[in-house]
Amino acid sequence: MPTVKNWQLGRDMNYPYDARFPSRQFAFVFNINRCIACQSCTMACKSTWTFSKGQEHMWWANVETKPYGGYPQWWDAKILEKLEDANPGGQVWGGTPADGRDGPYGTFEGQTIFEAARQTLTPDSARVLGYLPTDEEWNYPNIYEDNPIGKRGVRNKLDETGEKLPVHSTWFFYLARICNHCSYPACLAACPRKAIYKRPEDGIVLLDQAECRGYRKCVEACPYKKSMYRGNTRTSEKCIACFPRVEGTDPETGGEPMETRCMAACIGQIRMQGLVQMADDGTWAEDRHNPLYFLVHVAKVALPLYPQFGTQPNGYYIPPRWVARPYLRQMFGPGVDRAIENYVSPSRELLAVLQLFRRSNRIIYKYEIQEGPKIYEGSLHGRKVELYNDTVIAFGKSGREIFRTTVEEPIHVRPNTHANSI
Amino acid sequence: MPFDEPEIDDPQELVGVELPGDETVTREMAEAFADEFAQIGYTRPQILGLFRRAEYTGAHQAWTLLGEEAIGRLVDESLAVWGRVRYVVTDGVADGAVPEPLRLFRPRS
Repeated sequence: MPTVKNWQLGRDMNYPYDARFPSRQFAFVFNINRCIACQSCTMACKSTWTFSKGQEHMWWANVETKPYGGYPQWWDAKILEKLEDANPGGQVWGGTPADGRDGPYGTFEGQTIFEAARQTLTPDSARVLGYLPTDEEWNYPNIYEDNPIGKRGVRNKLDETGEKLPVHSTWFFYLARICNHCSYPACLAACPRKAIYKRPEDGIVLLDQAECRGYRKCVEACPYKKSMYRGNTRTSEKCIACFPRVEGTDPETGGEPMETRCMAACIGQIRMQGLVQMADDGTWAEDRHNPLYFLVHVAKVALPLYPQFGTQPNGYYIPPRWVARPYLRQMFGPGVDRAIENYVSPSRELLAVLQLFRRSNRIIYKYEIQEGPKIYEGSLHGRKVELYNDTVIAFGKSGREIFRTTVEEPIHVRPNTHANSI
Repeated sequence: MPFDEPEIDDPQELVGVELPGDETVTREMAEAFADEFAQIGYTRPQILGLFRRAEYTGAHQAWTLLGEEAIGRLVDESLAVWGRVRYVVTDGVADGAVPEPLRLFRPRS
């Protein structure tokens, strides 16, 4: 089996195919601190791509309540348990988080889903450790979660006192998920038909419907369970990253690359999506003023979801600051403590870049900051805060300015009726 | 939607799983929501409205546990910092057109 470099793990790993990297890679950052589970992203995706017969259970974009929720149910607990069974006590990280682009979270010393498969699965053709969720696990995108429901047997009506459930004093957060368009996709690795491919121009992972025969190896292999089987066509389907928008070929885009539907619909402004430049070795090429590069590699506030699976996912999350750290370390790796520290005490540049989220539905390729005067210095929750009237300018693919964000101090206009009062 | 009763003999049922948490965690979560929505330009009534609505369960649970007064104080603390400014977004325009700034959410009075 070929060896490929996984920069998130800080080491080489086994993968069924040689490494091939696109010139740019579809990637995104979600700020979990802002997500209130309004499900606008979920419905934007559903109403665009998966509204047809046979797709009822397909939620390419979903928001689940962690730690107890998941779609399909227990997807992460199940694959984590399988990895633990394959390598008892060995799924640990070594080293310490570093500053470089290669291995910024230390070195993962355990086994990925590709490596564990070689030792635990038979026959030899089984390439990825995974499992096929049951029908029941696919049935409910939010089972046992916190949605108000109707009384049993009463359809289409919410229980009028349904919100008065017992209140548990516990921590939880909302995890928004789409396909991570991984650099080493497990779905692609597992497909015996080679029906899944990664586009060389933007790294979007697509599933060729003409080639698929519905063996569901991709469904079994994807550790994030973002490949889904459609019974009435007998093929599998997955998130297509709204590629006509990302390409700029959708009529609405006017030729300028546009973010996906789930990104554009986000009312909590938690999402930013872009196309990052790739280096020859599969790391992100230095692109200092790309906002995603800044958040992942400079500010180091955005972390990959379950990097230990080994697929090198391209979805990154700013972790929730109130959640128990051991849980977050398991979910996002050892970079969590640094990410939260950097996020709660943001640098001047980070504050500016956070203002780029959801100000436009066009993909931002580059930003520029024009520094202005300091307008406030004080403290919040015991931490020092400084605000500046900086102007942040976002540029699109063609280098044209998409928008600029400035800060305006409020002006109080005295009403006419009290024009002369003090 | 869980219309069926839990099956006690189902080994996958969550039974008695403890997730440690206390008022401090709830307060931190509420602080995070207040800070974030103050930063993106929401006003005091808008942020409090978010906490009051049962549909936004995370925020609403904090409101239930801590009470309106405590949540109001957290929102005021956040707005004392982030509410000082208003973000103005101006779309890039074609040559010759006049840019029209969009003042986000927060009204003048």
